[in-house]
Amino acid sequence: MERQKTFENPYLPKPYKVLSFTRESSDSFTIKVDMRINHEPGQFVQVSVPGIGECPISICSDSNKYIELNIREVGNVTNALSKLKKGSVVFVRGPYGNGYPMRSLRGNNILIIGGGCGVAPLRGIIEFVANNREDYEDVNLFLGYRSPADMIFKKETKKWKKDYQVDVSVDKVPHGQSCHDMRVGFITDALKEMHLDKNNRVVFICGPPIMMRYVIEILKNKGFNDKQIFISAERLMYCALGVCCHCMIKGKFTCIDGPVFRYDEVPK
Amino acid sequence: MQVFKLQKKGFNEFLEKVRSSYELIAPIKEDLVKFEKINNVKDIHLEKNSYFPVKEYFFRKEETLFQFDGKKFITPKLKTPTRAFFGLRRCDLAGIQHQDKVFMEDVNDPYYLEARKNSFLLGYHCPSAPSEYCFCGSMNLEEFFDIMFYDHETFFLAEIGSKKGEFLVKKFSKYFSKTNEIISEVEKTIPGTERLEKKDISKLYDHKDWKKGVDICLSCTACTALCPTCYCFSIHDEISIKNTKESERKRSWSSCQVPEFTKVAGDHVFRQEREERFKHRIYHQLDYFKEKYNVNMCTGCGRCIEGCPTRIDFVKIINEME
Repeated sequence: MERQKTFENPYLPKPYKVLSFTRESSDSFTIKVDMRINHEPGQFVQVSVPGIGECPISICSDSNKYIELNIREVGNVTNALSKLKKGSVVFVRGPYGNGYPMRSLRGNNILIIGGGCGVAPLRGIIEFVANNREDYEDVNLFLGYRSPADMIFKKETKKWKKDYQVDVSVDKVPHGQSCHDMRVGFITDALKEMHLDKNNRVVFICGPPIMMRYVIEILKNKGFNDKQIFISAERLMYCALGVCCHCMIKGKFTCIDGPVFRYDEVPK
Repeated sequence: MQVFKLQKKGFNEFLEKVRSSYELIAPIKEDLVKFEKINNVKDIHLEKNSYFPVKEYFFRKEETLFQFDGKKFITPKLKTPTRAFFGLRRCDLAGIQHQDKVFMEDVNDPYYLEARKNSFLLGYHCPSAPSEYCFCGSMNLEEFFDIMFYDHETFFLAEIGSKKGEFLVKKFSKYFSKTNEIISEVEKTIPGTERLEKKDISKLYDHKDWKKGVDICLSCTACTALCPTCYCFSIHDEISIKNTKESERKRSWSSCQVPEFTKVAGDHVFRQEREERFKHRIYHQLDYFKEKYNVNMCTGCGRCIEGCPTRIDFVKIINEME
């Protein structure tokens, strides 16, 4: 019988060096990995800890010389990943999925709305826009966190504030702490007060499902239509190849049809 | 397609010859009918269809994807003996065809491919519906086999469906005699299997009658395990007890009928309600899969109904929807 052709095993991760490890908040960190790949903002990779498991993490940088991954310690794999240091080896496969279609959105104003660790994939857009600044018009950022201590990308946010309109809100400030450069309240309150022209503007949203739902409601009340809105979906995922079916939303696979969906194409 | 004739008298001898060349897998009856390796061709049971699907020979219940030795991943050497499957019904064959689309056309799944490549598919056309739950006649199944055997009183007609089938006819030419008989379209249908009346359920998602099934569903996952096409899996790691630096990554069947199927870190479950999970299975079978691959995922075998502890007959539920 015909001999089996040799080809790459799609489940097999490859080893890469960790170039740096940065603690972002009490339960999240960012690693820079020596993985040289072409990718779009919003795409993700599968990160492995042998013996523990694998999990999907979105790429939060825009470079073909390395990737950066912001990881929140919420499960077994992400807790194990938090033990990485500069120089460690991490196992990765990817990139996977459809990212934000930035090239087809040239010439638009950009509105970015992120909640908690949902800011991570959006950071990829912010870097992409910085690398292609002449292609896009105004950039507005609305970022929300539970408390000042949960804020990620503190250094980057300072830089963004110089170049763009940035509005950071925190749900609450613990007793005895002060916070002068953030708004206290839900991100949705900040959005309700927003006076941005909806014309010629695209919106990128990522955050907890409940936040996304209310944000979209507010945007629609302000006259935004579904085709202007892009969301990034989160689901349980194993294969990232469109096979294992865990990430299916109606007939669509988050891993290959998403994770970024234009809102009118989200299976409802 | 080419048709040959095989006398029933010499048929067991033919199967015995196949068995001596390859591993022969066919249905046998113990407490339930099941596809097993055949040691004696007289054990083959063709009266009733297999209770369990044949899928586990290709898409195994559990598969070691690779081992980790502390430094690198090692893919296990894959070696499945060449197998001839006999007694595959049209539904079994369609299940294999649909899984081929997922594991061989969509992705190059080396584990599935390895088991699937070295296999001959010998079908057995049901002379009548072998179970009261059958509805393959409603499913527009495509012709898919290496050889299909049609049962006549004293002989079998064998229709050749592929190069592999031609190869077998040549190899065992002694048993295949030329004939002018043709197999008509009528003979290819199985009487009494057109149970599902509505072919398009896309507009019925919010119908209240799904509750008839949902209310008695136990989320036991028998339906997905017995389905010849259901191909969902999860992947997990196991650490070696002897040396904790060593581990294995395995994949195993999983079922969309339990909440854990969509549970992410932080304990959020995307399909928390049983109704959503129940409908997800039916819609994947009859709607979503078709959108992507142009064929129904469901093969109409009725195993999910027969094996259901509360006998949820979704075909009947859909038929009764107004």
